[in-house]
Amino acid sequence: MHPNELNPAAPGHFEQFGITPEVLDQVMRAALSLGATDCDLFFEHKVSTAVALTDSKVNRASTDVDLGLGVRARVGDQIGYAFTEDLSLEAMLRAARTAAGIARSTPGVAPVDLSPLALPDRYPVTDPWSIVGMDKRVPMVRAWEEAAFKLDPRIEKVQTSLADVEKWILLARPDGRMAEDYQPMTRAHVVCTAVQGDVRESNSYNLAQRAGLEFYSDQARIDRMVQKAVERTLFLLDAGKPPAGDMPVVLAAGASGILLHEAIGHGLEADFNRKGVSIYAARMDQKVAPDFVTVVDDGTVPGARGAINVDDEGNEPERTVLIENGVLRSYMHDEISASHYGVAPTGSGRRQSFRHHPLPRMRSTYMDPGPHDPEEIIKNTKRGIYATSFSNGAVQIGAGDFTFYMKTGYLIEDGKLTRPIKDVNIIGNGPAALEQVDMVGSDLVLDEGGWTCGKDGQGVPVSQGQPTVRVASLVVGGE
Amino acid sequence: MSELMDAAAKAVELATNMGAEQVKAWSSQGVEVELQQRAGKLERVHESSTLGLSVSLLVDGRYSTHGTSDLRPEALKAFLQRAVDGTRYLEPDPDRVMLPFEEMGSLDPVSLDNDDAASMNARGPEQRQEAIKELEDTILAGATDDLVSATSYIWEVRSQSAAVFSNGFSAQQARTHFGQGGMLTLKEPSGKLPETYSFYNASHMADVPSVQHLADDLWERATEVRNTSACASGSYTLILDRRTASRLIGAMIAPMSGGNLHTGRSMYLGKLGQTLGSSAFTLVDDPTIPRGMGSKPFDGDGRKARTRSLFTNGRLDTYLLDLYHARKLEMDPTTGGTSNVVMAPGTRHWREIAKDHPKAIRVTSFLGGNSNPASGNYSFGIRGQLLENGEWVQNLSEMNVSGNLLELMAAFIEADNDPWTFASYRLPTLFFANVQFSGS
Repeated sequence: MHPNELNPAAPGHFEQFGITPEVLDQVMRAALSLGATDCDLFFEHKVSTAVALTDSKVNRASTDVDLGLGVRARVGDQIGYAFTEDLSLEAMLRAARTAAGIARSTPGVAPVDLSPLALPDRYPVTDPWSIVGMDKRVPMVRAWEEAAFKLDPRIEKVQTSLADVEKWILLARPDGRMAEDYQPMTRAHVVCTAVQGDVRESNSYNLAQRAGLEFYSDQARIDRMVQKAVERTLFLLDAGKPPAGDMPVVLAAGASGILLHEAIGHGLEADFNRKGVSIYAARMDQKVAPDFVTVVDDGTVPGARGAINVDDEGNEPERTVLIENGVLRSYMHDEISASHYGVAPTGSGRRQSFRHHPLPRMRSTYMDPGPHDPEEIIKNTKRGIYATSFSNGAVQIGAGDFTFYMKTGYLIEDGKLTRPIKDVNIIGNGPAALEQVDMVGSDLVLDEGGWTCGKDGQGVPVSQGQPTVRVASLVVGGE
Repeated sequence: MSELMDAAAKAVELATNMGAEQVKAWSSQGVEVELQQRAGKLERVHESSTLGLSVSLLVDGRYSTHGTSDLRPEALKAFLQRAVDGTRYLEPDPDRVMLPFEEMGSLDPVSLDNDDAASMNARGPEQRQEAIKELEDTILAGATDDLVSATSYIWEVRSQSAAVFSNGFSAQQARTHFGQGGMLTLKEPSGKLPETYSFYNASHMADVPSVQHLADDLWERATEVRNTSACASGSYTLILDRRTASRLIGAMIAPMSGGNLHTGRSMYLGKLGQTLGSSAFTLVDDPTIPRGMGSKPFDGDGRKARTRSLFTNGRLDTYLLDLYHARKLEMDPTTGGTSNVVMAPGTRHWREIAKDHPKAIRVTSFLGGNSNPASGNYSFGIRGQLLENGEWVQNLSEMNVSGNLLELMAAFIEADNDPWTFASYRLPTLFFANVQFSGS
């Protein structure tokens, strides 16, 4: 039995791999041996499990185990990085010496005794995935399928899946910081295909949370997931394309936080700004949006996909106010950018795995509620679109151009929702779009879906949310 | 390589002894080096060596897949035992069968010529640092006053893998990738900081273009991103640059997959053998191209790789069906995915062809967007250039291109004569008639 199976969050997980304070000290000394001014050791053990249903059969499952150490050696903003999947002392020292190669001088820093950081518990788990067998997972995905078929005879096919991850990390720094964290994650997904005459459409809904099996004991949550998967699929059967061109876009509360993520969030990651390649570089303390716009990136939202107890450099995550009442107040910092700007890190240093070095990344990004009644926002729109669900987005950091893909929405005509619309890309420029946010609703919703943010070849789990928001002008890719 | 073969064989043996009736095991290892330089400083050096094992199991007619990087003998044994035990809780799937041994095979990996280990071994850390400095110096030699940042990249990757199946099939392959690239950020009076990039990737180091070629290409691409704006919404000839063509052609190929067909998410359902594209639309999948970036000796089922026609003169020739999905659809298997997607080059350069088109938008990069494999609807953000009768009019941004992939295929006009060969999609610049763009 796994030593931590009954209490996976308990410290000491990596002792079973022979990782002791003495070993950590030895490996850090190797990383600093050629004159690096700082280093970090990042151990990771991740167990992922997924089970899936297709054609009314739970006939597919997978497990993945990832184990390894990443070593980063730093000289100012220069990085040497190496990793190993072999946790023998010899292999770890080899990785450390490889990373150390970024430096070319005599050692000047020596590690001090390690002292464990006291971490909060933002994702308490009562039923850890390591003790949940396939026998419990299989009936769950089957029940979701049955529920979906019952909702509408036009549903032709249903696929359901349940995925979970248990990740243990251990961080060690030469200044004595040591942190161990247990990071669970789960995601449930329902995909439906519906047929109506000659039209066949497919759509989905998913839930994600840093949680154990107990997350699924809330039947209302499960019912909502299935209902939304079916509704969103049926919606597409009668939806068409909107007209093309420049028009007001009203974003429904929730997943429309993708606007913040793409239009603003990436541009406020401090690595782009310290290099001067973000359109927000040198705009600190300037007015960038109307007074009623406050944007936050928050690592502390309990259970959120973007929640962390400690960032991947050993810093405390915070609620970082990026834009306060329309004024740019902060970037998201890792240690390198914080040092460049002479500020404290915001606990935003994150990485995909031990194979990657940390970068400033978003966590849970949202806009605070505003002064407007959500219904009034639609009533006050003569002609435009109301976007209700989204699949993906992208941004060009320097030019500020961003896009997001609207999966479902409505045309707004004379202040009313009229024709259902689907499958259009929406494009704009970040700073211009921020200035053109002319109404913000009072109805902030943090989306419950499983968003993953990509940057520099690394994907990390994030959350996003927004109240109902109107942008006066964006380019809609219709017909 | 024999160690990899041994590791895969050991996994097959262990899983079989634990009760699995069919086992496929793949073991792999890789070495990667990546350098990034900016402002005269080495900004980042990444070096890694990786090792991994993945298995697919059939236990009592039930199927599962598993992967691990924890290869300590006891951990591996426990991992496989959990995998076998867990699989028993699933439902049987009679379509999860292995290809008969007689139908399995592999091309001789040597014929693909995509392993240039000698070049990788010949270059050490100092030579790599000299190489990236030379690249940066060459890029900066062309610097213009509006340059904010220039980042240079070089990388080398070697991966080896071995496959062992419980029916006796075994095969192995090794391949290398070498590349270099650059990224520029420029400053405009408006405060915008447009970016551009150029990257080249090849199996052999000798096939990577010179640093001067890359620098020239990068600065030419810089001229395409300055002072952009949207032009009027409307219908234009789409000139799809060879480097970006994979985005739309890939969207056309995705619904051919067994997974999409089986779940009803394909615009090609019931259309096999029908003419969907224009008579000029011909695409081939060719895994046998020496030094091709997508070349491979065998596919996931263990079938010897061979060339297949995807579209001939607009006719949909094949679905991409691995054995599992072929059985689900009660069709003959083909192969589960593409390797090198090839369109034969035309006879004229795109600049010549563009003169035939009064109003055209040349798309040089995409920004976001997506497509619906079931309906074929697509909508992507674009950057590019507005051309009139081949003459440059303005650089474009903040625009979308939207429509239906089946209609786009039917609107294909011709390909130019200069295909991109540094990726698995080996496509020339492509011309499509009457495509809808939205802008100002």
